[in-house]
Amino acid sequence: MSGVAGLGTDRAAATGALQAVRHRPPRSLTHPPHQGVLLVAPALAFVVVFVLAPLAFAVYMSMTDWPLIGSYEFTGLSNYLGVAQDPVFWRSVGYTVLYTAIVTLPILVLGYVLAVVVRSNRRGSTLFRTIFFLPYVIGLTTLSFLLVLEAQPDSGAVNVVLRWLGITDGSTAWLADGRLATGLICVMIVWGVSGLTMVLLMGGMQGVPREVHESAEIDGATWWQRERSITIPMIRRTIAMSLVISVIGSLLAFTQFYVLTRGGPGTETQTVVMYIYQRGFVQLQLGAASALSIVLVVVVGLVTAAQFRLLREKD
Amino acid sequence: MSTTAPSTPTAARPAPRPARSPRGGSPGPSSTGRAESRTKLVLYVVGGTLASLVFLVPLVWSVLRSFQPNDVIVSASPTWQQVFQLSLDNFRALFAGDAQIARAVGNSLVVSISTAVLTAVLATLAGYGFGRFRFRGRNWLFGLVVVTMMVPFQAIITPLYLQMNAMGLTDSRLGLVLFYSTVNLPFGVFVMRNAFETIPDEIEDSARVDGAGTFRSLVSVLRPLLLPGIATSALYAFLASWTEFLGALTFLTDDRLYTLPLSLVNLQSGAYGAVDFGYLVAGAVIAMVPCVVLYVALQRFYVAGLASGAVKG
Repeated sequence: MSGVAGLGTDRAAATGALQAVRHRPPRSLTHPPHQGVLLVAPALAFVVVFVLAPLAFAVYMSMTDWPLIGSYEFTGLSNYLGVAQDPVFWRSVGYTVLYTAIVTLPILVLGYVLAVVVRSNRRGSTLFRTIFFLPYVIGLTTLSFLLVLEAQPDSGAVNVVLRWLGITDGSTAWLADGRLATGLICVMIVWGVSGLTMVLLMGGMQGVPREVHESAEIDGATWWQRERSITIPMIRRTIAMSLVISVIGSLLAFTQFYVLTRGGPGTETQTVVMYIYQRGFVQLQLGAASALSIVLVVVVGLVTAAQFRLLREKD
Repeated sequence: MSTTAPSTPTAARPAPRPARSPRGGSPGPSSTGRAESRTKLVLYVVGGTLASLVFLVPLVWSVLRSFQPNDVIVSASPTWQQVFQLSLDNFRALFAGDAQIARAVGNSLVVSISTAVLTAVLATLAGYGFGRFRFRGRNWLFGLVVVTMMVPFQAIITPLYLQMNAMGLTDSRLGLVLFYSTVNLPFGVFVMRNAFETIPDEIEDSARVDGAGTFRSLVSVLRPLLLPGIATSALYAFLASWTEFLGALTFLTDDRLYTLPLSLVNLQSGAYGAVDFGYLVAGAVIAMVPCVVLYVALQRFYVAGLASGAVKG
């Protein structure tokens, strides 16, 4: 998910950016407009060539039977219909939603708890923050490769610990079983990405005035009462944002499943992005893959739009 | 709650409960306040330390693993002596012979450093334009850049592959650099625009009075003020591309161009001979090192970058 994670943070910034578009008085003498256009042109060119053009191309392709080589024909919406009728697609959707449903709340709760630990400016809080965030920085690709060995039957650390605790006999082949693999990957993800939620929530929490907390404490409010009636309402936009980042990250999950299970056994742990990859680059059905791409862009767009609505309403 | 890290041999403990204030009345803030803060402090230290172990032990264990030979790694019950019988053999083997991994590390370094530089340059220019200049359609264009952040590249990977293929940018490190730069650009532009906007106009104006042109004023006067923003966007771009997986998997087929994660897939599937977990874990640890070093050295930029998104959101 390292790429996904990168996008996640982008999204955090995007939220702010769209709300922070400000106006300045004209200062055309020192900053002639044409120079401004020249300065932003290269970045815009990248965005147009590598994001907008492929997006438009995808819409077009999704209505053809585009092969890797050779000519193509218009097929209208048949790709979309074909996808909608493919049980493997729906299984991958179901699996991705299940995976998202499993990891989202634990990531938020653990991220919140960690943020509570590091938000105070006590001695050592920076060190704790550094440590809690470390797995996220290392990235899911690397973490997934490390987990490959520790998930091996008998010799992997997961099994060694469970055997040592007397829970299993330590011979579990974690990655050969869909459910076990899912569970293991979920634990790794929660452990690995809660640090991001922590940093985001910490930023929000530090914006809550200290005095509010202190006066509530003097009035005899317990820790949880204070969190529930002061902190959480005040940082709800940050919470909403970190939720959207983690949900979108989960919906786009690919790397950890590719490395650890290859979607297997069978297609039991195949996520939507894996399914698209499979259709496009293994089965070479590029039209169908493009149709799927469009659907995914729309879904992610809807999740993001829902976030904007949420933020605007509660403002 | 699934806060345990079962991949660790020693410490698999739940994350700490947050500090809880003692029950009962509190007649005065001064007397009980001090006792309470001591309780809190103990909880903070104990809880924070336990949580740190949960996060650190698996990573430290993996580093230890990378110094173990394969037969110890796959052994069901290694002796303590074997566990701590460490050597550099895995790393030596990875960099010996036809040195696939060494080449992959080189590829990854070239690609991610170039991405960091290109992203920082493009983002700085665009940030200057968006933050300091007024031109028709400025807000609209900035909105366009920001909205592209929300288009997941995972979704457009198929048409993007065809397009890059047509442009001769597949199986090319340059292609990968351009792709990664695009993915990281919107965030960089956002950060740099904020950086330019927070610099007082007077500073730039005084440089102009002294006769510096647009680019000279940008470079000489503003550089120290912009360095945090530049570092943030470069660092993000580097870390995001260093172990990026799906794009590399899609755009590269020539294994001489493979980046580190793709080489690790080859190691994992035994493409270079029998699967050797020692090599795999050593390769993964190599992938870990730059992330950890850069993060620890530059974390104030990293966290500041995240916060800049979070606080406004």
